[in-house]
Amino acid sequence: MDHLLPPEIADADRAFPEALAACGDLDALLRLKGAYIGREGSHAARLMDLLKAAPKEQKRDLGAAINGLKNRWEEALKARQAEVEAARKATGAQLWDKSLPPPLPPRGALHPLNRLMDRLVDVFRPLGFHVEEGPEVETEAHNFDGLNIPADHPARGSADTFYLAGHPGLLLRTHTSPVQVRTLKNLAPKILEMGGIRFLAPGRVYRKDEIDPTHSPMFHQVEGMLVGHDIGMHHLKGTLEYALRALFGPTTEIRLRPSYFPFVEPGCEVDVSCPLCGAKGCRVCKGSGWVEILGAGLIHPNVLSLAGIDPAEWSGWAFGMGVERMAMMLSQTPDLRLFFENDQRFLKAMGGLD
Amino acid sequence: MWIERRALAAELPAVASLGTRPLAETLASLGFPVDAIEARPGTEVLDVDITANRGDAMSHRGLARDLAARLQQPLAVLLPSPVAEGEPQLPVRLLARACPIYATALLTLGKGRTPEMAQAFLTALGAAPKLLPAVDASNELLHRYGHPTHAFDADRIRGAVSVRMARPGETLVTLDGVERKLSPEDLVIADEGGPIALAGVMGGEGSKVTAKTRRVLLESAWFEARTVRATAHRHGLHTDASQRFGRGADAAMVPVARDLLIHRLEDWSGATLEGAWTAGAMPPPPSTVDLPKELLTRVAGEPLHLAEAAKALKALGCTVEAEPGHLRVLPPTWRHDLTLPEDLAEEVLRLRGYEHIPAVLPPLEGPPQPLSRDYLQRQALARRLAHLGFHQTVTYGFVSPEMDAAFPGPRGEAADEDRAGRTLTNPLGLEYSILRRSLVPSLVEVAKQNLKQGQREVRLFEIAPTFRGLSRGPVETWTVALVWAGERWDADPESKAGPVMAKHLLGTLKDVLKSTNQELAIHPIEDGAFLVAEFPIQAFRTPDDRIIPAFTPHSRFPAVERDLSLVVPATLTWQAMHDAVWIALVGTVLVDVACADLYQGKNLPAGTKAWLLRLTFQAMDRTLVGAEVDAWVASALNAAESLGAQLRA
Ligand SMILES: [Zn+2]
Repeated sequence: MDHLLPPEIADADRAFPEALAACGDLDALLRLKGAYIGREGSHAARLMDLLKAAPKEQKRDLGAAINGLKNRWEEALKARQAEVEAARKATGAQLWDKSLPPPLPPRGALHPLNRLMDRLVDVFRPLGFHVEEGPEVETEAHNFDGLNIPADHPARGSADTFYLAGHPGLLLRTHTSPVQVRTLKNLAPKILEMGGIRFLAPGRVYRKDEIDPTHSPMFHQVEGMLVGHDIGMHHLKGTLEYALRALFGPTTEIRLRPSYFPFVEPGCEVDVSCPLCGAKGCRVCKGSGWVEILGAGLIHPNVLSLAGIDPAEWSGWAFGMGVERMAMMLSQTPDLRLFFENDQRFLKAMGGLD
Repeated sequence: MWIERRALAAELPAVASLGTRPLAETLASLGFPVDAIEARPGTEVLDVDITANRGDAMSHRGLARDLAARLQQPLAVLLPSPVAEGEPQLPVRLLARACPIYATALLTLGKGRTPEMAQAFLTALGAAPKLLPAVDASNELLHRYGHPTHAFDADRIRGAVSVRMARPGETLVTLDGVERKLSPEDLVIADEGGPIALAGVMGGEGSKVTAKTRRVLLESAWFEARTVRATAHRHGLHTDASQRFGRGADAAMVPVARDLLIHRLEDWSGATLEGAWTAGAMPPPPSTVDLPKELLTRVAGEPLHLAEAAKALKALGCTVEAEPGHLRVLPPTWRHDLTLPEDLAEEVLRLRGYEHIPAVLPPLEGPPQPLSRDYLQRQALARRLAHLGFHQTVTYGFVSPEMDAAFPGPRGEAADEDRAGRTLTNPLGLEYSILRRSLVPSLVEVAKQNLKQGQREVRLFEIAPTFRGLSRGPVETWTVALVWAGERWDADPESKAGPVMAKHLLGTLKDVLKSTNQELAIHPIEDGAFLVAEFPIQAFRTPDDRIIPAFTPHSRFPAVERDLSLVVPATLTWQAMHDAVWIALVGTVLVDVACADLYQGKNLPAGTKAWLLRLTFQAMDRTLVGAEVDAWVASALNAAESLGAQLRA
């Protein structure tokens, strides 16, 4: 039946295997495909024109011939395309020098301070603590008054606290404790149905300290607070013992020492057995085996009253922890400024990813 | 505050047999941590931290009182023989409420000098002796007993002495040689010529004791804490005296300190007492405070006997009456900090030792609260970006005016007319004076530093609030910013590093911004050396989703792929092509339109590019047949042609 086909088609068909083999890439292959079986101007298109014009008695045979030819081309093109694509992949495989380490996917890092704060949240979650946050620009009422800090307290001075020009009552919060005031006020109306209040408040705080290896005008704190019925120092101690053991290991011991903060009564400093030397005594703990880790106490009844919570019914504890201080202690990072320099090598090494 | 061991033992003999390390530990467990221990000739000194509420502990005697209570050991006798008072030698008038009592004495000095022992004591504490017995004795008494006193040169006082508020316009040259402009809120000691001392803060230059002084007038008074604090603060004068009066002095010490000072001047200098007398009367004593048993039990975490609490409070100097269910407690004159039952409970626990407090987890009284979506979203975003190769930074919330002007911020404000509302009154310096409206300038700064440090590729992000200065004050918006700079470096020796292109950052944004229809804007900074993007985080908010979304069925019949090799105008956007094809094939079983290959090169007519358009069809209910797919492909081609595309020959 092939005799029915015009000679140039027969020539093209003869040339087809070689042309196909010469197609080294997808682009060349697509152009060959266009020339043979494309919708317009291709050999197949010419054949379709031929078929239309053919006498009726030839149509059946010619049609079959054309179909056979087209199918052959189509299949061969498809097979070649698969070959080209496979070859493209194989090229990569052959180039792989198996003695080289495999390329790793890109890997960034969380900031070590954020990582530490996340970790603290993780530790307190099982006890039912959630996270509360507040603005960095605060009112004097939230930052000082609501925390039982006297009106003539030196921390209120412009030598210690940053104030906003044009807004005399606004300042950059000097601790995360104003989140206590906000949260107590917000939750006071539904404290009974909530069965008390317990939360952590991680965040950035500001104090007017010149930048040096141990000071920064911006740093981080994590505040913790719990309000319930009949809450005493034993609950503070129990919670901190649990949390600090979760952070530093099950053999960790804690020690409470009396101290003073205007917003708690009784107040205490909390030491943890040195996690670096196992309390044997080292440079970090100055040979004492203990490191100071946070300040805490039972919420001062004035703080509860000011927020609209009856201190005769409710009581609670609060603690505040310096994140940089803890990070420096744990990592023995010698200079606080490294945390704000953000060198990628530091971030990768100190922050990393879980 | 420095404490000298021997002087402490003089107040509490039991301390002499206590090692320095156990002494420091005992002090720490009472709430007075020891920051340093240093050797001095023949003794040791301890640097003890005294909290702001414990003015009474700011002396050897003060610390000895707490130690005596803890160790249950007796204190040394304070004043063996009080001085008999007589008629005033000089009128002393108390004209201000802030000074209810003023004890004084007039002495004629002898020839004696400050004894070696007293000199050594002052030197050990870092207080240089002046070798003037009246000055050194007053100073020594302050460190030993905590009550500040003062000695005036009596021959330089003109007429009667009064304690009064300063008058407008009055000035005083203080002992440090500085002329102070006084405020009517400053309490002063004055003679008939005007102020001669800032009460409780510092004496005056004009009446000070010198080597020529023959007669001294002593002052041992009680000044109200608040007034002294305000004056010290106003004049920036924080002295040993102002720190003690400012935290509340012990009114009962007024005559005692005066008498001790007289005794010292008699002993040291051979002084002769001309007369001692007191103006005014003791201020009212502190109020009684009730300590209920339930409160004590609640704070302590275990039932404590009221008798034990009473014993502890008595050891600290309180007068205690036991009543049914509670104690009625009158704090000693030196303890101004005991005003609430909680304060008393703390004293009981403190003396007992915080190590005895049991450790108990508080019971859960209600359902745990979930973490907020905002917080979770930020945490997830940070984690995703870190997994995509970005490093989280923490930079300061305030920037310089130049940095503030450098980038408009996530809301794209062009002008920075709100800057006044974001400016600090008292910044550390101009470079930290503006609350930033954008994280980008800080991030670019960090990126530059990293490149300078030799990093080939820098990928950074920060999640922090940005500020807008509104009339009611700065408003904060949680914001995320990214910067990508340097070479794109994938650590594969077989693939080539190349410059970071906008598409790389766009891909990341598309990934993290998933469901938002926010326009993805990349900003090239410094001719594209730094590619940055910044978004307010609300933009990411996703609707409250189910734990597992509703089931969407997928087809089990084969998919058919058809490719169209198209030459299209170079200006044609993929989005236009994509949309046109989808619209043309609405109602068909088209499941995907993709660009499988891009070709741009010399084989193509100028102003064109080639796309290999890959259409994927798949029906839920049957295997597709060639003819129906042909028809759909033809429609797709028509749609493409209407955008100027042509099938490649
Ligand atoms: Zn250690």
